[in-house]
Amino acid sequence: MPTLNNQGEVINDAWFVSEQAADDGKPGAMVPADRWQPDSGAGLYLGVDAEPEATYSAAAFIGIDFPAFNDGRGLSLAVLLRERLGFTGELRALGDVHPDMLHYLQRSGFTSFELPAERNLATAQAALQPYTAYYQGSIAEPTPVFRR
Amino acid sequence: MLPCPASGKANHHLMYQYNNFDKQFVAERVSQYRDQTERYLAGELSEDEFLQLRLRNGLYVQRLAPMLRVAVPYGTLSSAQLRALARVARDYDRGYGHLSTRQNMQFNWPELASVPDILEDLAKVEMHAIQTSGNCIRNVTTDEYAGVAADESVDPRPYCEIIRQWSTAHPEFDWLPRKFKIAVTGASDDRAAVDVHDIGLHVRQVAGEVVFDVKVGGGLGRTPVIGSTIKTDLPVADLLTYLEAIMRVYNRYGRRDNKYKARIKILVRALTADKFRDQVNAEWAEILGSQRGKASRLPTSEVQRMETFFAPPEYAALEDATKLLSNQRMVEPEFDRWMRHNVTAHKRPGYAVVVLSTKAFGIPPGDVTDAQMELVADWADQFGFGDIRISHQQNFVLPDVRADGLLELWQLASANDLASANAGLLTDIICCPGGDYCSLANAKSIPVAEAIQDHFAQYEDLVNLGDLDLNISGCMNACGHHHVGHIGILGVDKKGEEFYQISLGGHSGDAGAEASIGKIVGPSVSRSEVVGVIDEIIDVYLAQRLPQSGSSEQPESFLNCFRRIGMAPFKEQIYADAE
Ligand code: SF4
Repeated sequence: MPTLNNQGEVINDAWFVSEQAADDGKPGAMVPADRWQPDSGAGLYLGVDAEPEATYSAAAFIGIDFPAFNDGRGLSLAVLLRERLGFTGELRALGDVHPDMLHYLQRSGFTSFELPAERNLATAQAALQPYTAYYQGSIAEPTPVFRR
Repeated sequence: MLPCPASGKANHHLMYQYNNFDKQFVAERVSQYRDQTERYLAGELSEDEFLQLRLRNGLYVQRLAPMLRVAVPYGTLSSAQLRALARVARDYDRGYGHLSTRQNMQFNWPELASVPDILEDLAKVEMHAIQTSGNCIRNVTTDEYAGVAADESVDPRPYCEIIRQWSTAHPEFDWLPRKFKIAVTGASDDRAAVDVHDIGLHVRQVAGEVVFDVKVGGGLGRTPVIGSTIKTDLPVADLLTYLEAIMRVYNRYGRRDNKYKARIKILVRALTADKFRDQVNAEWAEILGSQRGKASRLPTSEVQRMETFFAPPEYAALEDATKLLSNQRMVEPEFDRWMRHNVTAHKRPGYAVVVLSTKAFGIPPGDVTDAQMELVADWADQFGFGDIRISHQQNFVLPDVRADGLLELWQLASANDLASANAGLLTDIICCPGGDYCSLANAKSIPVAEAIQDHFAQYEDLVNLGDLDLNISGCMNACGHHHVGHIGILGVDKKGEEFYQISLGGHSGDAGAEASIGKIVGPSVSRSEVVGVIDEIIDVYLAQRLPQSGSSEQPESFLNCFRRIGMAPFKEQIYADAE
């Protein structure tokens, strides 16, 4: 499954969702919140309905799994992780990640996007920045147009 | 007011004017949607994926064809924009458009593949169809008399525009559990029905400061409710930060498992309004503490910039025209009737607010032809300042007509089926497209409206029926706002047959009477029985109403009469034969 960063570049790294406790210590493991330890150095794997816990800011990496591309809860969760918890690490969108959602995801604080295998990579790259600028402030650009 | 560099005259806008930022944004939206349409036609986007994208660009598929809903922000149009809509009706449709109950313009017959071209044409006159459908923040609505109503304390339009910009392609709130409707009013008579919106804002002035009262969780649909006030005296600087707090709570906790339980009203009811308020306030406090939250507070300069777009036009110093008008009214009884029902007092002497009714007999409520649109645009220029409104009663409003031109305007409108003198009366029916056009309908609504109009057209004035809102929806989705009609009619399906459920006592709320949700009278009736039932209802009212109510010379209104005598007498009369 191709993964894009904010610049639309394809990135190859080892992050994977750890299905069982035995794999939690492997390099690149994203561990579900109920098994994740703040000092473990592991990545954190969250559903879109997760509550942002203060300890999450220590995660090396966070992945949020979208059950459906139009589930906007993941956008609010990303904003809270960035703004409320001050999480500064890499935040990746997983699951049903749709090319036409990338600009929302990116503005809400995601920094990489794992696209389902069937998605067209060139389409996703072209859809990353459909607009030059937006009206409201966002995680990516905190200043609304009326203050720019 | 800034003088216009070219003419030296004061620079009147009457509406928001796009700057380069807005123009670029809308142009980029059109290219984005063109690309999405092409990908869909090429098979790269699935039906369901494209559905989500096209809805957010105003295109949904009705029973017969795609329907395009063009945004008319808070119901305000310029004459140039209305002419552009007329061209769309002619070039891409079958020569007519439909005024919706949410102050927008709908086209029934566009080709899916040509929608990007339509949107490109509309962008040239600073129009779009962004977020007129789909589970996102919809076009904000307001009082159709904004800026000219005698009972207005603050003009709501600058705040509507601020909300429009803020809610456009919002990074976080464009993928909500369900559609989301915001209405704003600044008058004591709530013509925007803020009580029955997801968020209803009442803007007021307190000691020279603009503040908002905030209601949440009102709505029609299958669970009608009146909104709960969760905030009073919200300072204007915090309009957007507070809206953000509400939207975040809803986006995170609104139900997504059942579309019938996904509106914010269900969340507010599940939590209770008090707990919902506590959650919003906690969220709001956090927002105000963040750097982005601080930047989202509205600076005075931005509010003032918006206000300048809606500054009053250059009204002439006119004498009150009552004398001239009363002579004209004496000579022309039909003009007199139109003056009584379709003309409203204006803030300024010598001017009037005119409702151009689309409810002529034999024409579906809200339908207007391209030629009518062009005429209305011409009249707006000739008799006013080129400003036109669409009301949620699906009529056109000309907000600034010189009183000495009213007779001429009436003659022109009469000759073009736009002068039905029934604004606010029984035959000024609000009616959704229903089973003739809408794939969700249980029953047809337009033929019911026509049958009622036909039956009462002559009669309503003779007996002085007075203000009576009759609203019809073809199904539970309540696009025709049947719950807040004094008389409401809802299409229901009974074993595959079209039936109609009648309710009484609904009201969208105004200075004289609080909002209420209508109550069902009894078992539903077949289409052929509807007119008879309405007739029985009117008979009970005429028999029971007080000859005078309060200080006015007028007989007691239908609503007041119903509230006084209750349901029983109506029920008895309607179902007497059945028992
Ligand atoms: S109320 Fe029902 S039938 Fe009427 S337009 Fe809305 S969805 Fe269609």
